[in-house]
This record gives sequence, structure tokens and C-alpha cells, in this order.
Amino acid sequence: MLVDLPGGWSPLLGRLAWSQIPYANPILAPLFVAVVIGAIILLGLITYYGKWTYLWKEWLTTVDHKKLGVMYIIIGLVMLFRGFIDGLMIRTQQVWAVGPHSTGVFGSLHGYLTPFHFGQVYSAHGLIMILLAATPLLVGFMNIIVPIQVGARDMAYPYLNALGLWITAAAAALIMISLFVGDFAHNGWFEYAPIFELQYSPGVGVDYWIWTLQLVALGTTLGGINILATVIKMRAPGMTWGKLPIFVWASLSANVIALTSFPALQVALALVAADRYLGAHFFTAGMGGNLMLYTNLFWIWGHPEVYFVILPAFGMMSEIFPTFSEKPLFGYITMVLASMAIAGVSWLVWLHHFFTMGAGPYVNTAFSVATMLVGIPTGVKVFNWAFTMYRGRLTFNAAMLWAIGALFLLLIGGMTGMMLAIPAINYMVHNSVFVVAHFHSMLLVIVYAIFGSVLYWFPKVFGFKLDEFWAKTMFWLFSAGTALVFVPMYMLGFMGMTRRLEYVFNTSWQSYLDVMELGIVVYTLSVLAFFILLYVSIRDHAKNRVGADAWGTSRSLEWMTHSPVPFYNFAVLPHVNERDELAWRRQHGIDQVRPAHYDDIHMPNNTGVAIIMGGLTFVLGFALTWRIWWLCIVSLLAIILLMIIRSFKGDPGYIITGAELQRMEEEAYRREAQIADSHHSHPVSGGVVGNAMAYQRNDSSK
Amino acid sequence: MSHGAADPTMHPEVQLSTSKGYFLGFAISAFLMLVATFLVTSHSVPPFGLLMVISVCAGIAVIAQIYFLLHIDISEHNIWNTVALVLFIPLFLITIGLTWWMFSQLYLRTMDMSVMSSVTNPAVHASAAPKMSDMPGMGSSPDSAN
Repeated sequence: MLVDLPGGWSPLLGRLAWSQIPYANPILAPLFVAVVIGAIILLGLITYYGKWTYLWKEWLTTVDHKKLGVMYIIIGLVMLFRGFIDGLMIRTQQVWAVGPHSTGVFGSLHGYLTPFHFGQVYSAHGLIMILLAATPLLVGFMNIIVPIQVGARDMAYPYLNALGLWITAAAAALIMISLFVGDFAHNGWFEYAPIFELQYSPGVGVDYWIWTLQLVALGTTLGGINILATVIKMRAPGMTWGKLPIFVWASLSANVIALTSFPALQVALALVAADRYLGAHFFTAGMGGNLMLYTNLFWIWGHPEVYFVILPAFGMMSEIFPTFSEKPLFGYITMVLASMAIAGVSWLVWLHHFFTMGAGPYVNTAFSVATMLVGIPTGVKVFNWAFTMYRGRLTFNAAMLWAIGALFLLLIGGMTGMMLAIPAINYMVHNSVFVVAHFHSMLLVIVYAIFGSVLYWFPKVFGFKLDEFWAKTMFWLFSAGTALVFVPMYMLGFMGMTRRLEYVFNTSWQSYLDVMELGIVVYTLSVLAFFILLYVSIRDHAKNRVGADAWGTSRSLEWMTHSPVPFYNFAVLPHVNERDELAWRRQHGIDQVRPAHYDDIHMPNNTGVAIIMGGLTFVLGFALTWRIWWLCIVSLLAIILLMIIRSFKGDPGYIITGAELQRMEEEAYRREAQIADSHHSHPVSGGVVGNAMAYQRNDSSK
Repeated sequence: MSHGAADPTMHPEVQLSTSKGYFLGFAISAFLMLVATFLVTSHSVPPFGLLMVISVCAGIAVIAQIYFLLHIDISEHNIWNTVALVLFIPLFLITIGLTWWMFSQLYLRTMDMSVMSSVTNPAVHASAAPKMSDMPGMGSSPDSAN
């Protein structure tokens, strides 16, 4: 073996041994029992109701971008919950372990978490929230909405889309299993050199971290390629670049960032892996290595990644504001330019994550100025949203409240970001909880936009609205929690409290920590409200059914097809005449037209290859983590073989005949007609109404 | 869209790819990688020459991959591949250039350059390394500090 591996190793099981199962841990052992029981109940219920075939045929093997998106969002929500529990644990430890007289339980001197366990909790919290909650949630929304908004029937590469999802799922599974088998990294979500080197972190935690992150990066890159190709190649007839819906522009700019930046992360991780597995010295403090090169390479990806997650959130807000202001988006062109500018500048600012490295005044000044430049396009966006609402006919429903909340948080996060962009201030508050509060404000912008989007697009995907009362209750509880947790955090940051403290030495900070604990309790109530929201909405779904245009004031293409969206999205591809196509059609009285004639359409087949491939990548990640070499080779060969077989087989797809399509469409129209507030549509011949073209022309000349 | 969406094999991008091209691209890159690995492990070329040879190998490999594997040329239907390549150039310059700049500035401030030279030329180290007391601000005795 190339490295001096501490602890035992066997050819069959690698580093895996019974002693790696934390069955004596008073927190993990009961949780493990609960998870096992829960899983048995879930699997039992699926078997009892005979849903396995349904699950396999409709979900696990699907290549439908909407279902894949829904699964992305489910993964994201589950991981958001896990990350939230980690946050709850962090807050509880900090409020408990204050001062030398604080008590300790479960083998901890202060509080209930040992420093090693606490380190794992905050590392997992950070990694999960950014890469396995925010990213899948946003990718899920882009997956669902982008193809419909550009008027396509699916993604450019439906199979690749499924592959991206299952690789992301494998990453989520890998980080979850680190709870019960071995342990997770304890050095922070972005790790530090050289503490992640094998001699300083001899356990498997960092290895779990490497392969989890590597899999997420792979899955997200595949998704990014897919969305870019979809937007570039699959737009409906008539949809020029100037008519692209704003969320599509946001997704486009975000995925340009994803495609260009994720490779930097993958290289950084590969080099860390080379250090840990092959005994290389890329990031050691000697032998030609340089530890700051790791930080550099990580943040070359890390900062663009920040904008990768914020840009789709901006796009979501840009969809919600116009709909509930009943006005077109103010400054469409500037909005597009701002998105692209943010994407571009995202590549010029990464040093601000380590101003204190000591690169000197010239470097720090340059990156400081570059960082402040981000404020210009972002400011443009904020003003555009404000002017969109200005003198609009505002509807303050729950989705709008979340969007407005995001706007306020963006101001707080943005202003504190400007402060942090000044190296002098950065030196003062570096590694303090002020920084933590700042980036939580920014990430909460994303969370607010996501919850707004859940409410906004839910009726499109599932055909019924979510309950307004519980959605608003959740919003206010969540906002109260945000204020209670993060206002004291900003204050503590100014007082000099550093981040990641498992023991708080200064007893005068107790009252602030108490308020933050109260805040996290309020957050917990908002999570509860979310569950009630889902329960109540699903219970009353028959009452809340909607037609194609769920809000009545929607503007873009996705609201022109049925709700829930049929698997083929559009029976006949619409012809796009204007930027806000639906609003334009409504204005010209042709929003209720429907095609008189249906042609055959071509759709992709389901495939089980993607989920098997996802399973194999999970096995590969697990085997690499535990250094079970034979299993690595077997799973890697299986992946390559499967890929080759699939490539040669291809997918010819299948044809839905015009007659079949007509039957399904008529059924959908009948269903819509039963909904009280929906309007009745009438067929048009030839796809042309007046001077406007409503549908794709299927002339033989094409 | 200028071509039908129904048959993916009709896309011009797909039409470009041939198994011969892929194998050739793979073979060239694999061969160049083996050459580089051999040169590094055998220490048969002096360091500067090694750097040059490896750089040339890498350059050829990049061109082979761009042409054979990524099918990037400047023809009309490959416009998006070209756009991607052109957009990549500023990113390349930014990441490499700014990294170089920030680390050269960092080394100015933090590295004892004689230690750096001792890596390549160990004989220099013993004689040229300055004592702590020679550095500005590092008084040899506590008394000299004001």
C-alpha cells in the first residue's frame, strides 16, 4: 500500500469492521434503530399496497424530466430536513456548553456533543445544506420548469437526466450512511489543508467527504450540460433569445457557471484523494506541496458555486413578482445582463474567502473591488423587482410573501457582504459568526425563493394548490425563526465569537445564545407547519384543483399546458410570439385556443440503466471510502460495461399517435372543464388565429 | 430548429463522431501520457528539459482531444462547441493568471526564498539562509527593540 494506513485493513472488507458501527453512541444508536424501523415500515407499506411495480415503472426508471425534478426536490427536502436537524444540534450544543460551569452528558465535558462529534455535525450541516439540499432543490426546479418554459417535450438528454438524479441520490445515500458506518469529516464542510491529510485525519470521515462531494459534482455537471443543451437546442418555434422566459435565462447563466466551475472542485478533490490514497504531497506543508493551493482551488469552484445556487433563486423571484404584481417584469434586458454579469464576475472574486491568507494589499484590493462589483448587477435586480411591484396590482399570497422575504434577506445579506468585501473589516471578522450570519442570510434568500417556488409551481406539477393558511403560517414562523437566530448571530460576530465553537467560553454571550435557541425552536415549528401544509393540501386536493393557468395572472409558457402537466408537456408545440407569451395571448383573446389537429409525437423510453448506474456509483463511493479495492474494481468495471452496452443499444424512443394524443388531450380538457373557475377553450384550425400563429406549423416543407 | 428532433443520430454533432476518431484520440492521449509517466519515473531528462517535454506532450494531447474527442472545429454547425471553447479562454487566463499573481505576492511576504532555492539546490541552503536576527524587525536581543 502506498500510504501508511492507521488501524486494520483486510483484503475482503478493507477498513470496514464491526468497531466502526457506533452502536455505543447514545445519539446515533437510537437513531439507527428508528431509521431501520422506519425503513421496514415504509418497505412493508409499499409491499402491502403492491406499489413496487408502480414505483419501478413510473418513478425509478422514468426519464420524464418532471418526475425526475420531483425526485430531485424530494431528495433536497429530505436533506434539508437532515441539515436542519444538524443546525438544531449545533444551536443546542452552543446554548448548553457556555462557561466552565456548564454541565456535560454523553461523555462530553460540556454540552452533549464531544468536540469530534460536534465537528462532524457542523461539517455535515454545511455540506448537506449547500450541495445536497439547495443544489438538488434548484436543479429539481430547473429540471421541471426549464423544458416546459422553452416549449420542449423533455430535456435534450432524458437518459443523462435520470443518470444525474441517481448519482446525486447516491451522494445523498453516501453521506447518510456515514451516520451509522464510520464517521464523517470533522474539519468543516470545505475542509482545510493539511488537516484533511491522512496523518491528521486518520478516519474515514474525510474519505466520505471526498466521494460524496465528487458524486454531487458529477451529478450536477451532468445536469448542467443537459439544461444548457435543452435551452440552446430545444426551444419552441418562435422563441428567440429575446423571448426566453427570465427563469430560463437564470438557469442558463447558473449552468454555465456549473459546467465551468465544478471541474475545478473535482480536480481539487482528486488531488486530495491522491494525497490520502497514494501518498502524494499536493497539499502537505512540505515535499513541494502547498496547503493554500487547496484553499485556492476549492474556492475557484466555491465562489462560482455560490452564484450557481443564487442565480436560479433570482430567476424564481423574477417569475413570482410579475405574476402577483400583474405587470411584466421591469427591465427584462437588464435582468438578463445582470444574470450574465454575475455569472462572469463570479470567476473573479474567489480570494475573498481567504483575504487573511496574506497575499498583500494589491491582491486583496483587486479582489475587494471585484467583489464589490457583484453589488452592481445584484442591485440592478433588486431595483427591477421593486419597480415590477411599483404600482402593480399586488396579491399577497404565500408565494409572494416568500419572494418578498427573499428580497429583504437579500438586502441584509448583500449589505453585510459589502462589508465583508472590505479587507480591513474582513480581517476583523474573519472566521467569526458574523461571516456565518452573512452567508446564512444569502442562503436563506435561496430557501425563501425555493419555498416561494414550491407554492408557485406546485399546482402546475400536481394540479392543485397548496393550502394558503398553512403556507402563510409557515412563512411567518420561518421568518420569525430567521430573525431570532441570525440577528443575535450578527451581534455575536461583532463581539468576536468565532465560528464552530463546541464550547463557548464567554458567559456574557449566554443570553444571545438563548435567543438563538428560541429561534431554532420557532424554526422547528415552521417545519411542523410545513408537514401540516402538505397533509392539509393533499387531504383537500379535490377542492383546490386548478386549470392550466393556476393563478389567472401567469405569464409564461408553462402555464399554457394542462395542470398537472401531461408527460409529453405539449400535445402540439406552441408557437411563441412574445416574451410573456401567455400574457400576450390573454391580452389578444387567444389564450383559450386549442389545436384542432394532432400529429404523431416522439417520446423517450424509460430505462432502468440510470438507477442501476446510480447504485453502482454508490457502491464505488462506499468501496473507495473503506478502501475495499476488489469492490472498487468490480463496481467501476460494471459502470463502464453498462455505459458501453447502453451506448450501443441507444434508445429509439416510441411514437404516440395523433389519435391517441387527441384522446388524452380531450380527456384533459374535460377534466379542466369540471373545475369551477376554468374557462372553456375552443379548437382552431391550422394553428392560426387572426394574424397570430398559435401552434407549431407542421407543413410538409419543414 | 433546422433538423428533426425525432432521430437523434441525424444531429450533425452525432454525425461527426466516428469510432475511428474516438479510438485515435484515446490512443494518442494514452500514448502521450505513458511517455510522460516514463520520463518522470525514469529521471532520464534534466528537470528543465522534463518540464518542456511534458508541456509539449500535454499540448499535443489537448489538441488531439479537442479535435478527435470533442470534435471542435470552426464549422457552422459546430458553432456552440466553438462558443464554449472561446468562453473557456478567459476563464483559463483568470484562474491561472490570478492564482499565479496571488501566490507570487504571498511568497514575497511569507516565504524564505533561500529555503525555496534549497529545494532545487541543497548546497545553497546551509550558507545562504539568513538568521532570524538578520531580518528587519527581528532584533537580536530584547534590548534593541524600542
